[in-house]
Amino acid sequence: MYKKLWEVFIGCARATNLGFGGGPAMIPLIQREAVTRYKWLTDEEFADALAIGNSLPGPIATKLASYMGYRVAGWPGALAGLLGTLLSTFVIVILGDLLIRYSHTAALNAALTAVRPVVVILIAQSAYDLGKKAFPKKYRSTWGIAVVALGIIFMTSVHPGILVVCAMTFGYFAYGRKKS
Amino acid sequence: MEQFLEIFVAFFRASNLAFGGGPAIIPLVQAEVLNHGWMTIEQFSEGLAIVTSLPGPIATLLSGFVGYNVGGWLGVLAALLGTLALTSILVIVLTDFLMKNSESPVLKGALTGVRPLVTVLVAKTAFDMGSSAFSSLWSWVIAGLAMICLYKFKLHPGIVIILSMVFGIIVLR
Repeated sequence: MYKKLWEVFIGCARATNLGFGGGPAMIPLIQREAVTRYKWLTDEEFADALAIGNSLPGPIATKLASYMGYRVAGWPGALAGLLGTLLSTFVIVILGDLLIRYSHTAALNAALTAVRPVVVILIAQSAYDLGKKAFPKKYRSTWGIAVVALGIIFMTSVHPGILVVCAMTFGYFAYGRKKS
Repeated sequence: MEQFLEIFVAFFRASNLAFGGGPAIIPLVQAEVLNHGWMTIEQFSEGLAIVTSLPGPIATLLSGFVGYNVGGWLGVLAALLGTLALTSILVIVLTDFLMKNSESPVLKGALTGVRPLVTVLVAKTAFDMGSSAFSSLWSWVIAGLAMICLYKFKLHPGIVIILSMVFGIIVLR
């Protein structure tokens, strides 16, 4: 039990403390810990958790961390995941004044400029991994969902949560009742 | 105690009205901070600059920064609880319900329908970040090198992140 809690804590701490660029930058890193390294979730389950996370308010990284922790070790696990995610927050509180002095240095700006393309690649990779499981051969119309979603996302500013609910409703009617 | 509640309520409101993750929360926190007179706009912008250069979720970093400045460690606790409590519990309860029933044909269908959407949403995030991240030729060079490190040498993403920052300090400064 303690080993699991520690793994959740350290997994989330590693993912967040390398996640430069806010919550979304952490998605591929959390995926790496949860799916590849510790095998707490499958790619599909990760996508489902992400869908729920996206339709709720609040920061995405902490939502993923708390669900992942809960999945591994119940409510204490959720707490361990959250604490891991919050490590960098405690650092800013303790080092606040010092950081203000360094926040304008050329070196930090250069480092942050250089890390951005890497973050983009990691997120794109994440999308690719999720995509491998999202378009089963049995249901070719899942591609239709992606195309329609792309159109809506780029042309309107509809909130992702609404899209999640629509996609689930569509899925229920299109794929949910065939077997029964 | 009164202040504890005030901070809690401010962040509770900001976080639970912010759909779209950390970045969506910034203007809402800013409004709370200015309305309460906790900080000047300059102090807040200064804090925001540090927050966006640190790793970790913007929303919790911002909560920590503002909470501490307003009410010390108790303020941090109040702000974090306000930001996290409700959404964390909701996501656990909802996702757990979903997973426990994921074998039912109804939910199976719904999940099949939502996965392509999630893929698109994550790809969109990459696209949005990409449109500001590739600002110069160097960005493309870094991207190319990063891909070699990731796919040919199979380095851990975290190591590639650190390497890219060191590269930036040496080359871009």
